[in-house]
Amino acid sequence: MNKTKRFCAIALAAMMAVTAFAGCGGTPQPTTTTTTTGGDTTASAATGGDTTATTGDDTGDPLGGEGAAGPISLKVWGPDAAQAILKEQCAKFSENMKAYGDITIEVVPQGEADSAVQVLTDSAAAADVFGFACDNLDKLVTAGALLEVTGADKDYVTNINSEASVAAATKNGSVWAYPETGDNSYCLVYNKDYVSEEQAKTLEGVFEACKAANKKFVMDAGNGYYSCLFMFTSGIKIDGFEEDGETQKFSDYDEDKAVKTMLAFHKLFTENKDFFLNGEVTKVVDGFKSDTVAAGFDGSWNFSNAKSTLGDKAGFATLPTINVDGEDVPIVNMFGYKLLGVNAATLYPNTAIELAKYLSGEECQMQRAEQLNWGPSNKVVSESDTIKNDQALSAILAQSASSVPQVGIAATFWTPVGTFGNKVVDADNPIDEAACKEIIKTTIANIRDE
Amino acid sequence: MIKSYKLQRTIADVVIYVILGVLGIIWVSPLVWLLLHSFRAEGGVTVPYVFPKEYTVNDYYRLFTETDVFDYPKWFLNTFVVAVFSCIISTLSVLMVSYTFSRLRFKSRKMFINVGMILGMFPGFMTMIALYYLLKAMNLTQQLPALVICYSAGSGLGFAISKGFFDTIPRALDEAATIDGATRNQIFWKIILPISKPILVYTVLTSFIGPWCDFILVRIIMGDKRDNYTVAMGLQKMVDKEYKQNYFKQFLSGSVVVAVPITLLFLKMQNYYVEGVTAGGVKG
Amino acid sequence: MTFIEYKSLSRSEQIMYKVKEFFSLLPGKLKGFFGAIGKFFVNLVKNFIGGLKGYGSRFVQGDMSTKLSYVVMGFGNLTRGQSGKGLAFLAAEIMYIIYMAKFGLRYLNMFDTLGLVAKRVVTLPNGRQSIEFVDNSMLILLYGTMSILLTLVFIAVYIANTKSAFEAEQNQKAGKKNLTLKQELVDFLDGKYHITLLATPVLLISVFTILPLVFMILIAFTNYDQQHVPPGNLFTWVGLQTFRDVFKVSEGANKGYTFVQLTKWTIVWAIFATFSNYIVGMVLALMINKKSIKFKVLWRTLFVITIAVPQFVSLLLMNQILQDDGVMNVILGYMGIGPISFFNSSAIVARVTVIVVNMWVGVPYTILQTSGILMNIPEDLYESARIDGATPVVQFFQITLPYMLFVTTPYLIQSFVGNINNFNVIYLLTGGGPQKDMNLYQAGQTDLLVTWLFKLTMDSNDYNTAAAVGILVFIVCATLSLITFNLSKSSRNEEEFS
Repeated sequence: MNKTKRFCAIALAAMMAVTAFAGCGGTPQPTTTTTTTGGDTTASAATGGDTTATTGDDTGDPLGGEGAAGPISLKVWGPDAAQAILKEQCAKFSENMKAYGDITIEVVPQGEADSAVQVLTDSAAAADVFGFACDNLDKLVTAGALLEVTGADKDYVTNINSEASVAAATKNGSVWAYPETGDNSYCLVYNKDYVSEEQAKTLEGVFEACKAANKKFVMDAGNGYYSCLFMFTSGIKIDGFEEDGETQKFSDYDEDKAVKTMLAFHKLFTENKDFFLNGEVTKVVDGFKSDTVAAGFDGSWNFSNAKSTLGDKAGFATLPTINVDGEDVPIVNMFGYKLLGVNAATLYPNTAIELAKYLSGEECQMQRAEQLNWGPSNKVVSESDTIKNDQALSAILAQSASSVPQVGIAATFWTPVGTFGNKVVDADNPIDEAACKEIIKTTIANIRDE
Repeated sequence: MIKSYKLQRTIADVVIYVILGVLGIIWVSPLVWLLLHSFRAEGGVTVPYVFPKEYTVNDYYRLFTETDVFDYPKWFLNTFVVAVFSCIISTLSVLMVSYTFSRLRFKSRKMFINVGMILGMFPGFMTMIALYYLLKAMNLTQQLPALVICYSAGSGLGFAISKGFFDTIPRALDEAATIDGATRNQIFWKIILPISKPILVYTVLTSFIGPWCDFILVRIIMGDKRDNYTVAMGLQKMVDKEYKQNYFKQFLSGSVVVAVPITLLFLKMQNYYVEGVTAGGVKG
Repeated sequence: MTFIEYKSLSRSEQIMYKVKEFFSLLPGKLKGFFGAIGKFFVNLVKNFIGGLKGYGSRFVQGDMSTKLSYVVMGFGNLTRGQSGKGLAFLAAEIMYIIYMAKFGLRYLNMFDTLGLVAKRVVTLPNGRQSIEFVDNSMLILLYGTMSILLTLVFIAVYIANTKSAFEAEQNQKAGKKNLTLKQELVDFLDGKYHITLLATPVLLISVFTILPLVFMILIAFTNYDQQHVPPGNLFTWVGLQTFRDVFKVSEGANKGYTFVQLTKWTIVWAIFATFSNYIVGMVLALMINKKSIKFKVLWRTLFVITIAVPQFVSLLLMNQILQDDGVMNVILGYMGIGPISFFNSSAIVARVTVIVVNMWVGVPYTILQTSGILMNIPEDLYESARIDGATPVVQFFQITLPYMLFVTTPYLIQSFVGNINNFNVIYLLTGGGPQKDMNLYQAGQTDLLVTWLFKLTMDSNDYNTAAAVGILVFIVCATLSLITFNLSKSSRNEEEFS
């Protein structure tokens, strides 16, 4: 047993090491786009700036002459669900660029949560163009693994995508990636049999409906990703990092309002504790299947499951409001984007950039919205009928307007916020005003490591 | 007096049977749950009742046929191949090292033993990345032999138990053989190994199981090369946020498929296992 | 003292004996342990110097072909009829030179700074940029370490070469015939058999265990943290700075509180996890192996079957079963007991749950491991107890338990140390939760000290701190284990059977 045990311990320790890459956090570092960056170096090798042998010209070759030197081969990473469509789109791209070069594109499945880990492990073996979740941006940029989006490409990206999605791809004033989707978040999913559209607008209404039907409402209140909504709705919002690049910065907030909101949440959750299930999001669809759950906060990646389980009865809405002092306050959550990054180690920067631009462009986003139900970041696609007619997608897109983007989040953020959530929904230990103030204070102190 | 003694013993036995029965059920029931729910037809990750309402082999069927996302059969085969080879190499290294430390006397033997024990205690995190780049320098990344190397290279350090076992074999055996003109090489292969079946089986079992459990190294070494994943890695992926809702029942059936051969192997070999670990454990 | 003598002492004398034995041996063992480490390095240096000493004198005394061997390795052996050996030396030299020229030297050169330029930004004619990565500190550190270790090995081979050349010359002068390759090889199957057997494992362990470990240890002396992640950044040597930072971890009010709380829980956990498995496993093994009990195979199988399921599967399984809406609560519901939130209500419930699940995982191993030893307890010990009218319970506490404790102390302490570091159960089962204590800094109420420390360091990509913590954890565990290993009866009686 010792052997196996030791093995497992090592493995787990290592897993922690691995998930550390995948986790959330990172720091800005002034990255100069001049010639050389490095440690505390002398100028000995700083000869940079000499160009490679590319014979690029201004005759409109988007590949900058890379095609002239011979066939180009690129690797693209995308999630399993998008393999077929991605292959189609890449083939189309090669076809479009035929005049400028012979491009072969290999599409390899690699989940967006994992790709950053793999790029940081060995960027030379990683894909030239890869999809990743925006919370990994800090880490990738700090490690210098992404090729910056500059010049005309930057204008292109900022013009066609929603402001929030571009913000999610921006760090230190530079744009580093190409927004691919705008739907990486969660919203209210409910069973229309039990919850009416009107009730779904307020959290009180949702609980009322659950009570009436004797069904549960599901939320993962101990997980920082979901419980941050308690803090954000209370007005306690994060604002990137302090100057040291590690410490979480908070915007100013009104303590009285924050306490009142917290108490409103607390009252609602504890009064309805028999109709509240605190657990991971898979319990929403599970509960729909066994008819024990009426509504829940579920992630966009599970929407299609909810649809296939409930069929026409599946309802989707933006996060409901909560009544604080007679006023309905909309719940604010965290919102993520999937981005396409160009590997800094790519051998064909021009072609890779063009491909990333194409895959993140209007045409491809539209196809993904139609075929995969992925919410777009593209402004035109967001306004299209396809989106407007899809309840789930329009709910999640409407949500994005008021959400806090999932960027610039310290590694120390998640645990204290999870505890915060547990405190708010804890029916066994009621909290009062003083306790709320204490909780806010301690949570912020623990996040900021004070 | 004698009768009551007998009665007492019978009562004691009954109590023991009851205890063993109850605990046995407690011990097995999670596994029974695993087995039952791997055949469950309805529901997703969990259902609010104990016994499934409908049974199906659909998830087993999907496991072996829907191979575009999770190529379970291929991964099963990979794991088997890796397990066999790393088992051979591990067993050989462990036996060679422990035999040397137990039977042969040479300069700095104590030092080797102590260094070996120290090395075994180092937490291995952070060494993964070094391993990856070492393998990369040898052009082995993303290939199955890399896994074999990772699982078996350090195995020589697990010599404690089998050294303990060899320590219990009387030295007179070696001496007699030496007088008959046998070399140490011959003594190792022809005399010691044949009577070391328990420890051999113990070592084979423990080193065979390792590759079926690891999902960390595989992730780093194989990267995006899905064809070369192993079963544990696949199972782990099935409970990732992205897949869990749809693949949890396949995760259950996949776990059963992994557990069955290992269980059979274990049940068949457990007597040797006990013998090996007893002889080695007391001393090791 | 044998077990029989030990048993003849009274209870208090026994305890005193154990305590006295432990403390009387402790200083010596500690000294022995650190002495051994020290001796290891002293011997290393001594052997090295010894090798060098002969090196000079052999050059002076040797003839031309021996002298030539100092440049062309194996020359001396080649000219004296030992072509196999000579060629092997020559091959080693050529391979080393090729390795160094093509690979090693580049990294060795930059080992002192770990690189000067991380990357160059190249502006393409059409205004876009591309990046050229230049020095990668991590690769320089890794391959540099590899080259250094390889060079040390080469030096040893080189000196062996001069020695061999000189010996061959002396042999020839004395009129003796030099051993042929075949004769030397035969010796490797007998007199030098330990070298044959150890060569492959030692090679494998050196490359795939020692080298990565040295790499990890060296990282603790660099600034490889979240601000210095390759390939876009360089990191460099900072000496002991990282270790100073580690000890700062316990500064700050909440950190101090967390440290105290988690230390308490870690100790409680290690004690309960170790002894619950040990005692329950042993009692079950006794029951199964009792002579009058039938269906032994069935009973044992029932328990042992859990071992065959990969541990991460069985822990994830338990996690599902014990969820708020899991099957366990469904069953409790049938029995009229309200749902229990095993992982998310209070610290005490979660902690008890973890210990119980740990028993489910660990007891089968104890059954297997103790079965055989239990059968070995001398029957006459029980016989006399029975005559005295001792009940089975009394027998267990008076004979079985003391005997087992006596025999398996090293195993117990090893598993105690193992439990202090038990990542898997905590990580897969609770993830450290429940997170309800606001004053715990970045930790839940079932987090162990180690899981907390690693969360603190690894989550923020501070690899150097993580490596330093790893080294400190290792020092504590290694000291504990080595002491107990050496204290135990087994190592003293190693030669008993010879």
